Amino acid sequence: MDKTTIKILIFALLIAFLGILSIYSSTYQKEGALWDMIPKRQVLWVLLGVLCFIGVYNSNYRRLWDWTYLLYGLLLCLLALVFIIGIVRLGAQRWLKIAWVNFQPSEFVKLSIVIFLARYFSAKSADNISLKIRNYGLVKAFLWPSLFVAFPAGLIMEQPDLGSATIIIIIFIAMLFLANVKFRYIALFFSVVMLAMPFIWDYLRGYQKDRLLVFLNPNADPLGAGYTIIQSKIAIGSGGFFGKGWLAGTQNQLHFLPESHTDFIFAVFCEEWGFIGAFILLLLYFLLIRQGFIIAERTQDNFGRLMAYGISMMLGIQVFINMAMNLGLAPVVGLPLPLMSYGGSSVIVTFAYLGILANINRKRTVF
Amino acid sequence: MRSKIIVFMYAAFFLFLAAYLFNVQIINGGKFRDLSNKNCIRLIPKSGSRGKILDRNNAIIAGNLLAYDVMVMPKDSWELEASLDKLSKILSMDPRVLEKRFQEGYGAPGAPVSVARRVPVKKALAVEEEKGGAGGIIVHSYPVRYYPFGSMASHVLGYLSEIDHWRLAELEDYGYKTKDIVGFGGIEEKYDYYLRQEDGGLSVEVDRKGKMVRVIGFKPPQSGKNVHLTIDSRLQQIAEEVLKEKKGAVVLMNPYNGEILALASSPDFAPSVFVEKNQSVIQGLFSSRNSPLMNRAISAAYPPGSIFKLVVAAAGLETGKINKSQTFECTGSVAVGQQEFACNGVHGLQNMEEAIAHSCNSYFYRLGLLLGPQIIHDYAVKFGFAVSSGIELPYESAGLIPSPVWKKIHRFRSWFDGDTANFAIGQGDVLVTPLQVARMTAVFANQGKLVQPVIMKAIDGKNVAQYHSNIHETHLKISTIKDIREGMRAVVQDARGTANMLNSLPVPIAGKTGTAQAAGGAPHGWFAGFFPYDNPRFVLCVFLERGGSGADASRAAKEIIEKMVEQNLI
Repeated sequence: MDKTTIKILIFALLIAFLGILSIYSSTYQKEGALWDMIPKRQVLWVLLGVLCFIGVYNSNYRRLWDWTYLLYGLLLCLLALVFIIGIVRLGAQRWLKIAWVNFQPSEFVKLSIVIFLARYFSAKSADNISLKIRNYGLVKAFLWPSLFVAFPAGLIMEQPDLGSATIIIIIFIAMLFLANVKFRYIALFFSVVMLAMPFIWDYLRGYQKDRLLVFLNPNADPLGAGYTIIQSKIAIGSGGFFGKGWLAGTQNQLHFLPESHTDFIFAVFCEEWGFIGAFILLLLYFLLIRQGFIIAERTQDNFGRLMAYGISMMLGIQVFINMAMNLGLAPVVGLPLPLMSYGGSSVIVTFAYLGILANINRKRTVF
Repeated sequence: MRSKIIVFMYAAFFLFLAAYLFNVQIINGGKFRDLSNKNCIRLIPKSGSRGKILDRNNAIIAGNLLAYDVMVMPKDSWELEASLDKLSKILSMDPRVLEKRFQEGYGAPGAPVSVARRVPVKKALAVEEEKGGAGGIIVHSYPVRYYPFGSMASHVLGYLSEIDHWRLAELEDYGYKTKDIVGFGGIEEKYDYYLRQEDGGLSVEVDRKGKMVRVIGFKPPQSGKNVHLTIDSRLQQIAEEVLKEKKGAVVLMNPYNGEILALASSPDFAPSVFVEKNQSVIQGLFSSRNSPLMNRAISAAYPPGSIFKLVVAAAGLETGKINKSQTFECTGSVAVGQQEFACNGVHGLQNMEEAIAHSCNSYFYRLGLLLGPQIIHDYAVKFGFAVSSGIELPYESAGLIPSPVWKKIHRFRSWFDGDTANFAIGQGDVLVTPLQVARMTAVFANQGKLVQPVIMKAIDGKNVAQYHSNIHETHLKISTIKDIREGMRAVVQDARGTANMLNSLPVPIAGKTGTAQAAGGAPHGWFAGFFPYDNPRFVLCVFLERGGSGADASRAAKEIIEKMVEQNLI
């Protein structure tokens, strides 16, 4: 393994370790065998994630080029399957039960969309080796990929998983931008999204509207939808400089913080480790994702380059939105913090992302 | 390069997060730390109970009962609904009413909201037993004032209510706070400092569901001190029964040490309506033209009428301007200046004893003119008029005894002989309280001592009456007192005495009646006396506001004494 790969793995494992500590802290006061299992399971997910990382690292990312449409089709089927046999949890139908594992296809859909967009925008013409994208008109540069993205995004929105859907749209815009698609097309897409907003608003579930409204004014409903934002902000703020200490965060230990082991794990961490801990965690995420950007910049192969950018951005956006959500800067949309939040699908997919990055770094010289 | 822009934005996002974390955790950290403490630290108040008020025989006049409020702890809406549903079944109340009360009472997350106040004990127990799974239901018990005798002695007690601005401004330095319950009027106000309890409480750490995790601190509540009154509730009840449906006051006092045995004022009120916060009844009490909240025995002053003749007679005897056998002839009226002053009859030759017995105005017009207003004024003051008696109750009136100087200052007029004539029969500007009259009567009962009335017997078992009582020697001649006593005895014993109806009682009584003219309406009726005559143990003053005449007051006095005899209280 080269230096970059080792760096990626070390940063990822450090973050995952802090995650496990926080998950343990957030569950150890809760009674029941299920809660005892959760930190142990997370250890298992991380180990599986590392295996996945090594597996992906040792393969060749160029194969994804060939599998793109297969992957895309497969995940579309899985998303459809979610509606048919999916498990309803917390009012949303996001999970598929395969064997004994609850599996969240939307995590994988994000990956496949990055791969798909990377491939689409790096296609070359046969006669000269210039990128096709330079010559694409509105339809080919914008409408087609939009449709390809809109399908799964719509299905995810219908689950409903507003967080993942939003991320997919942001990633799409960022990829359009990076692929040197003409700026006016991006502007066009932006205005389309804006025009669609009122219709999307009508289409949202009641609780989603509540969450968005509460984001604008958390005190509108302090016991209902605003509760989470208020409690999470209190948890983070009350951590102060040094934090309350591991296993000693009152917000978390006394169960004031809902969803503390998944979406609000950042608040748990900040309460117990304070600003120092939070700053170190931010730094770790920053360094980890920076490796992705470094790899992307070094890579000459357009497919690999776009994919590395896409993956880095995907991680960065998720980290940013989740933390902003914890801090009350973004609406509560149900989005895990990669590597920290409890959840098999998220952990394994994140390690797969990192594996792909490492693999791009290893193979880039070949092309 | 577009990729540079992306990387730059990415770094900017992280910087922004770090800056925002710094803002939340360090700049505003203290604020959030407070909020998080508030979140998980609850104060559970434990109220102490207010001191009891007891009578001289240890009967409780104002005690405490446990009241039960049913409260709901706000939490998830579905859970709230289930809780309210359950409560509505147990309490047989409309769930919508409960929900409305919850919404109105809702203050902060985690603070219990009272949805049903003053629930009967049985219902409270039922709630406690059956709440079972329905979370967030709390039955809060706390002591409230309870009056076993209903409205008895309500004016002596006063009532309890939330502290007002005025009292708060006065009492803030003594640890009183807004929303404190304090006494208004009577002993409850005067001795609030002793009676009031000190609330304690637990501070506990709770989890999100409000479940207690551990106790952080405990301050035990302190109950208030018990207060013993000199009131005898049996006598008080008798006095109030007789006054029922009338307006007026009754004072029954021990003539030697001034201990008040009964102090009744009518109309009265039930202090419990203030505990129950029965707003419509309370409004009625405040707006009623009969002023049921006023203690007529001490807070209002009235013209004494013929009762005042005892003071004039004493002044005459003391100054030697007259002796007991000297007579004046009553022809039915006396001319003073250009005015005819009428008597209540044609009495013929009257000596002092007869004049007192028949309440002859002519005699006292003449005697008054003989003495002059200043001497009458000075003797009235000697008998405790024109100053408040010093009883341990708030809002005591001092009354008024006029004099030439007073008239010059306040009325801008000179004093005429007609004023003296009126003064001598207790009319004109003279104003006295029933308690002052009782105090004056006691001087004749106890052979010349002016006692200060006391109503406090003990605080928390420690006798305070001995420190409060204050006995002045009036230095009246023994003969003066003897002569006037004989006159007062004749009021009852003489066949034509104004209170002859009291002669039929098995107890020998001495007294004096009064019928005081009051502007615009029926006259006030007075009776002041003491009994048993030879060895007096009680001084009684009956006052009927616009109650007809001295005869009506004597009738009321008779009823009181009859009942006392019946119940073997003499």
